[in-house]
Amino acid sequence: MTIMQIIFLITASVTLFAALMVVSTRKMMHAAMWLILVLFGVTITFALLETRFFAIVQLVIYIGAIAILIIFAVMLTRRSMNADVPQVNRNWWLVMVSSLALFVGLVTVMSVWEGFFVTARTAPPGGENLVQLGTALVDPNGFVLPFEVASLVLLAAMVGAIYVAAERKEK
Amino acid sequence: MMIDVGRMMLEILPEIGLLILIGVVLVLDLFWRKSRKKLGWVSFAGLLLIFVLTLVFVQPARLPQLTWGGMISLDMTGYIFRMIFIAGAALTVLYAIANDSLAGRGEFYLLLLTSTLGMCFMASAADLIMLFLAIETTTVPLFVLAGFLTRDQKSVESGIKYLLFAAMTSAVMLYGFTWLYGFSGTTQLYQIAERLKYGFVPQAAVVAAMMLVLVGFGFKISAVPFHFWAPDVYDGAPYPVAGFLSTASKAAGFAVLARALFVIFPLQTETWTLIVALLSTASMFVGNLLALAQKNIKRLLAYSSIAQAGYILIGVAADSPLGTSGVIYYLSAYLLTNLAAFGIVALVGRAVGSDEISAYAGLSRRSPALALAMLVVMLSLGGIPPFAGFIGKLLVFAAAIERGLIWLAILGVINTIVALFYYLTVLKVIYLYRSEEEDKPLAVSSAAGTALVICIVGIIALGVVIAPLYGWSTDAAATLLFLPR
Amino acid sequence: MGIPVSYYLVLSAIMFVIGILGVLLRRNALVTFMSLEMMFNAANLIFVTFAAYYRVLTGQIFVFFVMTVAAAEVAVGLALMVAIFRTKHSIDLDQMSSLKG
Repeated sequence: MTIMQIIFLITASVTLFAALMVVSTRKMMHAAMWLILVLFGVTITFALLETRFFAIVQLVIYIGAIAILIIFAVMLTRRSMNADVPQVNRNWWLVMVSSLALFVGLVTVMSVWEGFFVTARTAPPGGENLVQLGTALVDPNGFVLPFEVASLVLLAAMVGAIYVAAERKEK
Repeated sequence: MMIDVGRMMLEILPEIGLLILIGVVLVLDLFWRKSRKKLGWVSFAGLLLIFVLTLVFVQPARLPQLTWGGMISLDMTGYIFRMIFIAGAALTVLYAIANDSLAGRGEFYLLLLTSTLGMCFMASAADLIMLFLAIETTTVPLFVLAGFLTRDQKSVESGIKYLLFAAMTSAVMLYGFTWLYGFSGTTQLYQIAERLKYGFVPQAAVVAAMMLVLVGFGFKISAVPFHFWAPDVYDGAPYPVAGFLSTASKAAGFAVLARALFVIFPLQTETWTLIVALLSTASMFVGNLLALAQKNIKRLLAYSSIAQAGYILIGVAADSPLGTSGVIYYLSAYLLTNLAAFGIVALVGRAVGSDEISAYAGLSRRSPALALAMLVVMLSLGGIPPFAGFIGKLLVFAAAIERGLIWLAILGVINTIVALFYYLTVLKVIYLYRSEEEDKPLAVSSAAGTALVICIVGIIALGVVIAPLYGWSTDAAATLLFLPR
Repeated sequence: MGIPVSYYLVLSAIMFVIGILGVLLRRNALVTFMSLEMMFNAANLIFVTFAAYYRVLTGQIFVFFVMTVAAAEVAVGLALMVAIFRTKHSIDLDQMSSLKG
């Protein structure tokens, strides 16, 4: 057990505890806060892999944008659920059992793969090669096509979200 | 390395055309405050132009070619499917022009065009990254389109429902992608296949990744057991969107499904043939049996479209050139037929104010032309010659028999007979039942009329003149099985 | 020093399954949304792990795009939820026209 492993295990257990709280807590705002903790746990895991750039991006996009957006929605739709009504579906035990089966299945299948027990390599010291990443994104023989398409998705999402959420007066 | 930009641009001409059209719509929407209805005609004209340009200039070489850094593969499959999507979008635009609550909204055309662009990339994507983005480009606008009538609670709910199902299945699919990437170290479909073949990856792991990926594709084609969203979403979404979802979006799902299975998993053929055959059987039975009980025509069409996905899956399960060309033929026929069906349902629904099948009583007297169109559509869906649906069914059943999947072909035929029952019930209501309002004629706007005429002519043409499209689909099927240069 | 690949994969698998649990179990649309974000994060974790392992960029680029798409999806989803809340004052999935399946 090395120090890195201990750090990893602590991060992992906090992350997973927070994840469980997200799906089990009754209060929406609390769930959103736990979600931020989950996202932060993932950030630390990225950092453990020396993927520094993506740790920052995770922090900025997921916690800074997505989680905040969700919190806005929680506040805008307040009083939407009273906490007394049952919060889960009726056949919850069936879901539990099948999820457990899914997990066991996933891990079993992965563990037969030879790379499973290999020590993970981190990104090269000094973090990932950002210049390479940047040029790959705009290289016609690289990823320029998905890059442009991604911008289109964002445009469509923006137009769509404004259209749907904008309050219009009756004509 | 020299990069020939002109050639590369030409290779994605339809996508660039769509992008320009999106820009034009966006700008015109600002300036034409008074007469936004013209936007629909602009979109239609643009799509028509792109269709012709694609037809003439983007003819691919015989052998598939990877381009844009291996992101997309240029082949007949991509070529035909692009045209299917663009045609579907053009017809949907015509129906939208006829729909008062959609016609005046620039956002509608913009989102529809974006979704079409995503589909075009779905059909030719040869890289997991491109594939994922293409799928999301297709679905994200569709969430808004399904919930487009923000005043109508049912419509917004159908948008949310579609979004939750789509996001969940795409997360599962993405998890499958991570495994494929993890086992192979690359995202290029052809390289993944190569590495899976020569690497030491256990079969169980590959099959598990395949199942995860199939969840995402199963959702797109609304196959059982990933079909729960379809009836509610079709019911709530605006009519043209429901038509678009059930045809173009489904065709895009099949394009991706066929390419992924043929290219990435050639070694697991026995496994996936069985899985696809089971999905097909379940879809046919669940779709048809539930359709029998429906009183609402939109829900009936939703279950019928689940069953149709089942028939088309027979062609995929056959895993042969004949089967794949059957899939493409079937999808083209189905696109025209189902778009016509939703067009008629929209016209009647808006005139009568109800989607119940009983509201169709006396239609044959109110509008003989519409009733005749419905006759053609229902018979084509049921697989009766001389309409397009018959040829599609014939090809996929023949492919199943050719590959020894006789049980599947028999189940398909049984289901076709069951399905005829509810298609004919609709026709019975239209032709034999009387209603008090049957002396009031039903108005058909010029846009919807044009679209219907195109669809009906297409259905009959594809049912009679088989050779051209069949030849193309056969070429397309062949390219899917070749390795690209 | 080293942490086995299996640690990351198992962490990701547990997160993924908890996400699925949340989607299937909870009736509140917003919690469903948060669970979906956890599922996407589980996938990202694997991508980053393997990108570092193989020393190839594609995994990281994939993560980049997954984040973009997740942001787009969340924006549209939350807009739809605000729209439905305006008319209905509830985002309980079961209160929406029930799934007749």
